[in-house]
Amino acid sequence: MTVARARSTARLAAPRVVPPGRAPAGGRAASAARGAHANPLRTGLRLERVPEPNTIVVFGATGDLTHRKIVPALYNLRRVGLLPPETAIVGFARRSQTDDAFRGDLREAVATHSRVPIQDAIWQDVAAGVFYQQGDFGDPAAYTRLSERLEEIDVSRGTRGNRLFYLATPPSTTPEIIENLGKAGLDAEGRGRGWARVVVEKPFGSDLASAHQLNRDIARVFRESQVYRIDHYLGKETVRNLLVFRFGNGIFEPIWNRRYVDHVQITVSEALGVAGRGAFYEEAGASRDILQNHMLQLVSLVAMEPPIAFAADDLRNEKLRVLRAIDSDWTEERIARDVVRGQYGPGWSGGEEVPGYREEHEVAPDSTTETFVALKLEIQNWRWADVPFYLRVGKRLPKQATEISIQFKRPPLMLFRDTQSDPEANLLALRIQPDEGILLRFSAKVPGLGLDVRSVNMDFTYGSSFASDAPEAYETLLLDVMLGDASLFTRSDEVEAAWSIVTPINQTWAWWDAHGQAPELPNYAAGTWGPDKADHLVERDGRRWRRL
Amino acid sequence: MPEILPADPVARQWNARATSVAEIESQLSRIWSAAAEEATEDGMSADAAADALGDPRVAGHLLASGHVRVRARTRVLTLVVVASRPETAERAVAVVETLAGRHPSRAILLAPGDPDGPSTLDARLSMTCTLRGDNLTETCAERILLHAGGELSRHLAGVVTPLLIHDLPVVLWWPDDPPIGTRQFRELVETCDELLVDTASFRDDGVARLTAMAAAVAAGVPAVRDVGWMRLEMWREQLAGLFDHPLLTAELPTIRSVRIDVLRPAHILRISKALGFAGWLASALDWEVAQPLEPKPGSESLAGAWTDGRHEVRLELRPVNPQGAAPLRAAGSLQRVELELGRGRHSVRARVSRQPDHLLATAEWDGAEIARRVGRRDRFEEAPYVTEALDRLGHDRIFEEAVRHAARLVPR
Repeated sequence: MTVARARSTARLAAPRVVPPGRAPAGGRAASAARGAHANPLRTGLRLERVPEPNTIVVFGATGDLTHRKIVPALYNLRRVGLLPPETAIVGFARRSQTDDAFRGDLREAVATHSRVPIQDAIWQDVAAGVFYQQGDFGDPAAYTRLSERLEEIDVSRGTRGNRLFYLATPPSTTPEIIENLGKAGLDAEGRGRGWARVVVEKPFGSDLASAHQLNRDIARVFRESQVYRIDHYLGKETVRNLLVFRFGNGIFEPIWNRRYVDHVQITVSEALGVAGRGAFYEEAGASRDILQNHMLQLVSLVAMEPPIAFAADDLRNEKLRVLRAIDSDWTEERIARDVVRGQYGPGWSGGEEVPGYREEHEVAPDSTTETFVALKLEIQNWRWADVPFYLRVGKRLPKQATEISIQFKRPPLMLFRDTQSDPEANLLALRIQPDEGILLRFSAKVPGLGLDVRSVNMDFTYGSSFASDAPEAYETLLLDVMLGDASLFTRSDEVEAAWSIVTPINQTWAWWDAHGQAPELPNYAAGTWGPDKADHLVERDGRRWRRL
Repeated sequence: MPEILPADPVARQWNARATSVAEIESQLSRIWSAAAEEATEDGMSADAAADALGDPRVAGHLLASGHVRVRARTRVLTLVVVASRPETAERAVAVVETLAGRHPSRAILLAPGDPDGPSTLDARLSMTCTLRGDNLTETCAERILLHAGGELSRHLAGVVTPLLIHDLPVVLWWPDDPPIGTRQFRELVETCDELLVDTASFRDDGVARLTAMAAAVAAGVPAVRDVGWMRLEMWREQLAGLFDHPLLTAELPTIRSVRIDVLRPAHILRISKALGFAGWLASALDWEVAQPLEPKPGSESLAGAWTDGRHEVRLELRPVNPQGAAPLRAAGSLQRVELELGRGRHSVRARVSRQPDHLLATAEWDGAEIARRVGRRDRFEEAPYVTEALDRLGHDRIFEEAVRHAARLVPR
């Protein structure tokens, strides 16, 4: 398609949805649109799940997240026809600029960050619905102006009163934005209006008390069903495949329990350091940045019971039950025994000499912030009692890898005693990144006259079975918000349950730091697999970390 | 529509020739061994070998003795293609090559020769391994181009069966007019789990084959997919999109007539695609045939009617002659679909039409336009549709219902 043609196509696409003598987006129209199967012609179409036209209001529109993730994701959804042509994007931020300047800015962002090259025709189509609204997050009048602008857009674009508020802003601004949205009546749904949903980015608080407060602040304005707490890990293809793998196959579920599983290991390792995010990391540390959200989400997906339906609340109920079953009675002795805190010192990573954490930009020279955590959890329910879950997460480890491995029990009787090699127990590894895939390790006979047994891997790699163009996590998640599917988002009670596991550990560490009982930090060299104590944590139980 | 990744320059190919089924099997083994040996010669690291073998000690031992033989051998299906004409074989080879990355498979292309000549078998084998993506994951695809002449060309199922990969789905793609009902067709269909045809290639007006296909679909085995039907997806999408508008959704039960304009470059009006579209509308909206299609007096159109239980819905298939660039489209392509709706107080018209580079959908309420959507047109190439069919193996209930309803429109 030529550019000239494309532009004319974009002009053609501008909808005029106000029929003679009818209200633009209210009453019967809006309520009809909310019917579950209002349009029988949609059934069976590849784009069966196309959301209703809506306006996406991005708070923090000039920020990094908007440019790198949100707008490229919206562009790609439009490219594949999953974003209705009427959809509008409204940027809201403090900086003053025109709609056109904002469009130019976003075009650059899409050209730089989209996973496929930008096509001008499609961008023109998206850009026709992009607007900018200047305003201060704390100024109630700005929200009144925003509300008026949104009503104009409903009429001119046909967005039917549906609004998605995306808070791509620092966490400290969340309460005031929520409060002001409420004051301007932008939270209202129903009775002639469309839907109103709000997307909140992590962190959801920094401990149990602050998470509880944040949830209360949000709940004063929005109902829980309107709130989408986004954790982009859950939008990853392999995480979703974990559910399909567990509940779409009949052969794994019968052995997915304490009778057959010896233990479970989950590793989230990053090769990078804090990479310019020193100030943020000083506040967070590995436990708040990764353990409380990503890792505990992975634990709950691995350990949960089959939900009664693949629906948001059924899934989240089961995940919550796992979190509540995790033994959170963290005495000082247990923390000293079962939790390892680490911080990297200088070392060699990826063939380069790198500084230690305390030498990083914006990091205190005597910082006790953890860049590594390893811990042993117990899930106290009938399925998992006595099956340890070993978790480790860290920065400046030897490679980037996220993996869940289910280690099965050894065969009850070793028949092949004369074999020279010692076969290992069966293992099922679910690799989240990189090289998403699933690996099953089992024993096989080495060809020859002897009876040598060795372990071999049966390795399913997504890349070599489906060389497909997988969507970015943000595309999946944004589409889900627009469709009103909250399955992959975290509910307030889940967030608090996860904090109730992590907060006692953080509090004990803080108490130790204040009383001169902090471990000697740094305690591992960059480019190694963490402190020796992390190995002891597993080895004292007669096990070892899987080599990644 | 799935996106097909461009071929990566990092590719390796092995070729062989064979003149019997046994030789084909042994040559394939030989090719895999050669590929595996090359993987070692390429300097596989101790770490990579250990990963692949799962045991670092054994890997170290085998590496030292030069015995490591590793190359990922992932295959997801066997694709059997019947190319009865040389130009079809050429086309099919091109499509199969684009499939390799997304569906690492064994593709068997059958090119039957003169059935009255000497009985011969000439197979050209190739395997291509390509590195793709950021992680340079390697996918390998096998292709067997099989020319069978003489009596053997009448017994292709016997040649294919030993070459199918155990336990993996078998898809039979018949790009040309498939001889549904013949022994040769039946025998080949019995070897497969899924049959892929193209109603747009059905001969003459396509009606006889469509009726036969409806019977095959009704039998349930194998699952049938249709490239012609998949080409209609964007048309269905555009029309459905108009009715996402809440005012128009409410009007769906008031449809009074459907007119479909069909491209007719020659004297025969090929209606198999238009019938598929009409069948889909009828099944989606729960209409039953009241009057099968018959020539409309005083015109070149065909006319018929459905009933929704209370009202009549008229159907007209109207031939249109190609204009401008239109001759590039196949005979029987849809040019425009127009629905008249509304009973009593108002009248509504919903329309999807083919424009030079897009599909345009509009809706008018008492003459005033209330909705307008622009969508990309159906793609001309065949490969994306074949890819999509392989992505979604199994029954497509919407298609099956559409075919069932379409067959009822055929004059008895």
